[in-house]
Amino acid sequence: MAAPTVKVARGWSGLALGVRRAVLRLPGLTQVRWSRYGPEYQDPQIDKEYYRKPLAQLTEEETYERELRKTQVIKAAPATKTSSVFEDPVISKFTNMMMKGGNKVLARSLMTQTLEAVKRKQFEKYHAASAEEQATIERNPYTIFHQALKNCEPVIGLVPILKGGHFYQVPVPLADRRRRFLAMKWMIAECREKKPRRMLMPEKLSQELLEAFHSRGPVIKRKHDMHKMAEANRALAHYRWW
Amino acid sequence: LDPGRFLHLGTQAPQCLVAHLNNQVPNESPRAISRTLENDPAKHGEQHVGRHYSISVQELKTVFPHGLPPRFAMQVKTFNEACLMVRKPALELLHYLKNTNFAHPAVRYVLSSALDGEKGTGKTLSLCHVIHFCAKQDWLILHIPDAHLWVKNCRDLLQSTYNKQRFDQPLEASIWLKNFKTANERFLSQIKVQDTYVWNKRESTEKGSPLAEVVEQGIMRVRNATDAVGIVLKELKRQSSQGIFRLLVAVDGVNALWGRTTLKREDKSLIAPEELALIYNLRKMVKNDWQGGAIVLTVSQTGSLFKPRKAYLPQELLGKEGFDTLDPFIPILVSNYNPKEFEGCIQYYLENNWLQHEKAHTEEGKKELLFLSNRNPGLLERLCAYL
Repeated sequence: MAAPTVKVARGWSGLALGVRRAVLRLPGLTQVRWSRYGPEYQDPQIDKEYYRKPLAQLTEEETYERELRKTQVIKAAPATKTSSVFEDPVISKFTNMMMKGGNKVLARSLMTQTLEAVKRKQFEKYHAASAEEQATIERNPYTIFHQALKNCEPVIGLVPILKGGHFYQVPVPLADRRRRFLAMKWMIAECREKKPRRMLMPEKLSQELLEAFHSRGPVIKRKHDMHKMAEANRALAHYRWW
Repeated sequence: LDPGRFLHLGTQAPQCLVAHLNNQVPNESPRAISRTLENDPAKHGEQHVGRHYSISVQELKTVFPHGLPPRFAMQVKTFNEACLMVRKPALELLHYLKNTNFAHPAVRYVLSSALDGEKGTGKTLSLCHVIHFCAKQDWLILHIPDAHLWVKNCRDLLQSTYNKQRFDQPLEASIWLKNFKTANERFLSQIKVQDTYVWNKRESTEKGSPLAEVVEQGIMRVRNATDAVGIVLKELKRQSSQGIFRLLVAVDGVNALWGRTTLKREDKSLIAPEELALIYNLRKMVKNDWQGGAIVLTVSQTGSLFKPRKAYLPQELLGKEGFDTLDPFIPILVSNYNPKEFEGCIQYYLENNWLQHEKAHTEEGKKELLFLSNRNPGLLERLCAYL
């Protein structure tokens, strides 16, 4: 029949290349987090060193990979990712989480002020300490930041599961990204809520980061509380089916 | 002898070891040397450009009682040492000051940003270098750290006791007098006042009494502090021509004297700068009708009121009135670091372990810092603070 085929042809030409076609999902569940890029799009390679390697030194796989990339479509690099040597994905993620109302300038300045505050406090401690202690004092704000967030990550988490009309908090292993997210979320929430009125965010954040680095302080306590709850609800572990 | 090997020792050790290096290998070191042991500004020359020299903590208290610019003060506190870089504009100024003829009227030098007029090029710290030199040479230093602070955010304005049209600023005046006393203790007893000043029914300062009494009176009775400042300025101007002492007038942000103020009277009408007694007396000080010293000034847009952000030329910032009063002056342009100074600055930060990021030690990191800061001293300092 001519009419239906014409309709289908029009439908095909109307679709732009790479736009994700409506994928059939389970009824009642809508996809909320999705990207406009189709699955054929590759992530951009931002690393400068990758491009600086002279062509003679590449192995067979790498040459093949480069030839392949010439034919593939690549997503646009986000404005926040730079090829700067000083870039740190953890710091960028933390800055984005601190951001309110899209004010990235403010969030970034708060982050840099926090790192500066951490550095200055550690330098003060360093100068006041004796020679043996000086070797143990860490002055790099980036290592302190990473270690503090690592110390705040919970190992096991709780998930509300509906069974027999009631929600039960069931202990569940967490994925790496969920743990990192929880650590950052708790840190930011702690600094926003429990701050003295006239204290500024960088000062409070630097305080909390240093305490978490030494495995003490309210964020670590919250992680331990989460672990204790999980331990207490151990019996409900059977409710988990995955 | 690798300079890098000495990085792990304490902050006291590098001084003597750098002396060792300086004597043995002056030209052949692979990395730039960032320090010099020549701590006397009088002996600084072309060969010291790009190197840092240190000021001891006691000298800091006597030479800069008003305080240093806030970021530099933080750096001094963190590193436990005050190191200034020797740069060409300051050397030029020092050369002129060394060759001043004290019989001629005081010459005015104005430090301003070169070329595109960026902020953070180092005008205030060059001024501090010059002040340190003059203090070492035993001049009397009249330092106003920031004239903009006198025309804005003043809580208590009193009607002046001396002249009903003008206004007093007791807080600012008394703070300035306290710091002036700390800086110039030894001169205050030598200089004698040449007029009798009556403060109120019970107190007066007789002719021939030392200037210290006027300063004390200003600090004790805060209401008379502004008048005390006026008297100090008048006496110093009169007596510097006689040759007992040499006077350096150093004002940072001199464009505040001829701009506008944000201070209001009780009936909410704006006050012009000449109606403030402190500003009125300071304007008289900055005129070149006295001998026996020099006037070093800075024009800056940061902190100025009602001036566009891009304004950097003395003509724009001072306005017609100010420019006519200050004309003729010697302009000294302060620009960004040249490559040697930039290397010296980075080396200084590396020696103090201030650059903690692993990548900052590499060539890539340095190139990136150069690109991000465009060799601007202020920007570089802020960048290195969080790296």
